[in-house]
Amino acid sequence: MERILFYLIAAVIIVFSVLTVTSRRILRAAVYLLFVLMATAGFYFMLNYNFLGAVQLTVYSGGIVVLIVFAVLLTAHMDHKLDPPDRLKALAVGLLSLFGMGITLYALRSFPWAVTALPEGAYDIEAIGMRLLSYGDKGYVLPFEVISVLLLAAMVAAIIIAKKSTSND
Amino acid sequence: MELAKFLIMRSELSLLAVVLILLVVEIFSAKSKQGAVVNLATGLFLLHTILGFVPVATGQLFGGMYQHTLLTGLMKSVLNIGVLILIMQSSGWLKQPANKGRVSEFFLLILSTLMGMYFMLSAGDFLMLYLGLELATIPLAALVAYNLKEMKSMEAGAKFILLAALSSGIMLFGISLIYGSSGSVYYAEVVGTMEMNPMQIMAMVFFLSGLGFKISLVPFHFWTADVYEGAPTNVAAYLSVISKGASTFVLLTLLFTVFKTMFDAWEVLLYAMAVLTITLGNLFALRQQNMQRFLAFSSIAQAGFLLLGIISGTHYGMTTVIYFVLVYVFSNLGAFGVAAIVYNASGKINIEDYRGFYQTNPRLSLVMLLSLFSLAGIPPVAGFFGKFFLFAAAAEQGYYWLVIIALLNTIISLYYYLRVVKAMFLDRSEEPIGLIKSDVLTRVAIAVSVAGIVAAGVFSQVFDWIHLYGWGM
Repeated sequence: MERILFYLIAAVIIVFSVLTVTSRRILRAAVYLLFVLMATAGFYFMLNYNFLGAVQLTVYSGGIVVLIVFAVLLTAHMDHKLDPPDRLKALAVGLLSLFGMGITLYALRSFPWAVTALPEGAYDIEAIGMRLLSYGDKGYVLPFEVISVLLLAAMVAAIIIAKKSTSND
Repeated sequence: MELAKFLIMRSELSLLAVVLILLVVEIFSAKSKQGAVVNLATGLFLLHTILGFVPVATGQLFGGMYQHTLLTGLMKSVLNIGVLILIMQSSGWLKQPANKGRVSEFFLLILSTLMGMYFMLSAGDFLMLYLGLELATIPLAALVAYNLKEMKSMEAGAKFILLAALSSGIMLFGISLIYGSSGSVYYAEVVGTMEMNPMQIMAMVFFLSGLGFKISLVPFHFWTADVYEGAPTNVAAYLSVISKGASTFVLLTLLFTVFKTMFDAWEVLLYAMAVLTITLGNLFALRQQNMQRFLAFSSIAQAGFLLLGIISGTHYGMTTVIYFVLVYVFSNLGAFGVAAIVYNASGKINIEDYRGFYQTNPRLSLVMLLSLFSLAGIPPVAGFFGKFFLFAAAAEQGYYWLVIIALLNTIISLYYYLRVVKAMFLDRSEEPIGLIKSDVLTRVAIAVSVAGIVAAGVFSQVFDWIHLYGWGM
C-alpha cells in the first residue's frame, strides 16, 4: 500500500514538474508548481515527519506560490504566451537530460544505501525546537542566526532594486 | 558556554557590527551626506581589517559548525585587504549624483556578501557552507543591477541570479547525496565515508560545479563576460577578485580535507578544467574590445592558473595558491581601478578609447601598465613570482604537460595584455581621454594596489609568512 502511494505521489511530482517548465503561460506554470510542492508535502507525511509536512504546506504552497501568483498578476501580461521553443534546441536539451538522468540513475542504483532507523522522538516538535536554538553538538542556532543576516541583506537588496530612483526627477 | 569563547568568531562579529552601524546611520542620516557615509564606512572597515590581524585563540564553536584556524584567519585577512582597496576605489563612483540616497545600501550589501564568504571559509559542515554561499550570492545580484537606469545592468543582474540559482540547485543536490550516503553534513564525519564509487563521485562533481560557477571555471563560465560587462565597474572588480578568491580558498580547503580520499577523481576533473579554463579564457580575451569584457576573460584565464596549485595537493601548492590570490587581488584591483576611474569620469570603456592615455594621464597609465604586467607575469613585479611558484608547485608533482600548456598560454596572454599597453603608450589619438582628477580615497586605493604589486614581489617574507599557516594533503 505504502509503495503504491509513494509511486503515485512521485508520478504526480514528475508530471507537474514537467508541465511547470513546459507550460507557455506563466500563471499556469505557477499553478502546476503548487501541485508539485503539495505532493512533496505528501512525502513528508509518509515519512511521519508531520511538522515538516505542515511547514511545506503553509510556507511553500500557502506563501510562496501565492506570492508568485501575485507577482505575475502585478507585472506580467496574463495573456502573454511564450514563443514555442526551437525544435532542434528542444531535442538537444531532451537528449542531454535523458543522458544526465541515465548517469544519475546508474550512480544512484549502484550505491549500497544503508537503511537507518531514526532515534525515538526525533520528529518531536519540542526536540526540533530545542535543536534549532541549541549551541552545543548538533545544535542549529548558528545557521538560524545567519539566515537572519541573509534575510536582512536580501530585503535591502530587494528595496534597492524596487525603489524608484530619486536623482533624475 | 562562556561569552568570551565567542571571540573566536571576532571577524564575523566585528563585520556584523560594521553592517549594523551602517544600517542605523542610514536610517538617521540625510540623503545628501554621501561623502560622509563613504568615509565612515571606509574608516570602520579599516578598523575591522586591522582587528583581523590581532591574534585570537583558534578552535571550534557551535558543536563544530564554525571553526577558526590560523589558515582561515589568514584567508579572511587577504579578502579584507582586497575589500578595503575596493571600497576606497568605489568612493568616486558612490559620490556621483546618480547614487544619491543609495550609498549605505551599497556597503550593507557588499559587506554582507563578505560575511557570507567568511562563513564559507569557517564552515565546519555543508549546511553553513551552503548558507554562506547564498549570503555571498543573493545580495551580489542587487549590486550587479545597481545601475538601475541602464538596461544592461539590470539584464546582468537577472542573468546572475538565474544562473546562480541553477548552480546552487545542482550543488544542493550534490550535498543531499553526500548527506544521504554518509548520514551527516559535518565535514569531520563525512571525511571517513567518502569513497571512490560512482554515486559519491557524482555527488562530488555536482558539489564542485556550484563552486566552479563562483570561480567561473570553464565550463561554468558562461555568465562571466555578460555579467561583468553589465555590472558597475567596481562591482565587476568585486566579483572577479573577492568572490573568486573566497571560492578558490573554499575549493582548496575542501579538496584537501573532505574530498581527500577522492584525489584520483578530482585530479582528472581539475586537470581538464585547468586546461580548458586557461585556453578558452585566453582565446576569448584576444578578441575583446570592451575593457570590462576583456578583464572578465582575463580573470577566467587567471582562475585556471590557480588550479595548477590546487592539483599539486602539497603544502607548497596551498601556499602558492594563497600567494597568487593575494597578488591577483592587488593587480586586478589596480587594472579594474583604473578602468573604473576612466569609465566614471568619461564614460569610455573600449580599449580603443585608451589611445594616447599616457599623454594626458601619465600616472594612471603607469598604474595600468604595472597591473597588466603583473597579470601577464612579467618580472620583476609580483605576478611573475605568483605564476612561477604555481608552475613550480605543479611541476614538482610531475604535471609537466599541464605546466607546458599553461606556459604557452602565458605567452598568448602577453599579446592581449600588451595590446592595452600599446594603445595607451604608443598609439596617438585625435581626442584622447582628458586629464582625470580623482578623490583622495581613490588615489590612496590605487597607491595601495601598486605598493602591493611591488612589495609582494620584492619581499620574500610575504611568501614565507603564508607558508607558515598552510598545510598539505
